[in-house]
Amino acid sequence: MAINFRVELVWQESDDKKASSIFLTSDGRVILQGRGLSLQEREKLSLPRDFDLISVDRNLIRAIKDML
Amino acid sequence: MFLRNYWYVAALDDEVRERPLGRTILGEPVVLFRAANGALHAFEDRCPHRRLPLSMGKVVGDALQCHYHGLRFDGSGQCVRVPGQEHIPHNARVRTYPVVERYRWIWIWMGDPALADPAQICDFHWLQDPDWGAKPSYLHVEANWQLVVDNLLDLTHLAFVHETTIGNMALVEHAAVKVQRAPNSVLVTRWIIDQPAPPTFVKVGKFTTNVDRWQIIDYTPPAFLRLDVGACPTGTGAPEGRRVGGIGMRNLNAITPETETTAHYFWAQAHDFEPHNAQMTDQVFEQIRTAFLEDVAVFTAQQRSITLRPDAPQVDINADAGGMQARRIVDRLYREEQETAAAHATAAE
Repeated sequence: MAINFRVELVWQESDDKKASSIFLTSDGRVILQGRGLSLQEREKLSLPRDFDLISVDRNLIRAIKDML
Repeated sequence: MFLRNYWYVAALDDEVRERPLGRTILGEPVVLFRAANGALHAFEDRCPHRRLPLSMGKVVGDALQCHYHGLRFDGSGQCVRVPGQEHIPHNARVRTYPVVERYRWIWIWMGDPALADPAQICDFHWLQDPDWGAKPSYLHVEANWQLVVDNLLDLTHLAFVHETTIGNMALVEHAAVKVQRAPNSVLVTRWIIDQPAPPTFVKVGKFTTNVDRWQIIDYTPPAFLRLDVGACPTGTGAPEGRRVGGIGMRNLNAITPETETTAHYFWAQAHDFEPHNAQMTDQVFEQIRTAFLEDVAVFTAQQRSITLRPDAPQVDINADAGGMQARRIVDRLYREEQETAAAHATAAE
């Protein structure tokens, strides 16, 4: 039987101020929600080309500080 | 660590009659009583004369009389009679606390009386709602109040501590838990889809097929937990909001710190099926009570272990997420309350 227990953390300060979910998975990972950066964006912003990079909302940073 | 400027449950309504009830709350001795005119009162449980607990005394008319030398205190806490002398010392008075009777519980405000607003009392209307059957109860717990909060916000323990009543392994192995943190609340939501019903649910819900089960835990500080729990036969649409053909219950909890290592645990179980069937109310209550006594054994043993070695390391797992968020809220509120108190003290100097 597969163990699929996982926790979704949602941070919300007010109706209009909330963060996307943080997922804690049973294999010990913390999964964040963000948008992958295109090569064009990386070039424009002088970011490395050789990693998976995501852009996250600032509220998510607040959520990480508060909840993790 | 106690938060003071909050309403707490001090007693069940039927615990407080004319005979005074002594109870320690947030480390302070309190006596609760009803005067002859029906008014409810809470005093410091200590006579200012020789410090005997006033809860050993008796109600005389609208006053409380000390058992030792018969000093009497009116509803304002002022001494109004000293047997054998006419002069009443001006400082012969006891502290009083705001009290409110609501939801079959007696609520008390232990902080600054000027801030006591009954509108802030946490909603527990299920205890008096005609559409629900409900039965309240009280447990004395030999454990810190936050251990009880931790327990109620983490329901994976049901699979192990309560395997004969409300738990089964589906709670751990097939659960997606959502923890929503707002500035002053935590909401933990868990759905267990298409799994066997636990023993208590089979007993009171007569389920013969797999169920979709929900556990929605609403935490409000300092220590109020309202659990919306239930199950419907799988496929009938409960996750989409159609709760039909199943059972719904509210498990209602108000934990009041007594000392740093003991607590008053007021709880109730309400049900929306056969709400006027007293036998059903008793049956549901007894099933949950069995489980709660199993929890009390756990809290007590935890506290004993913590007291023996308070600095022993402790690790956290994913299932602790709700409890950890609640503790962070309490830590922040405590810090804020201390800062406000310190600012007021400085201003008063």
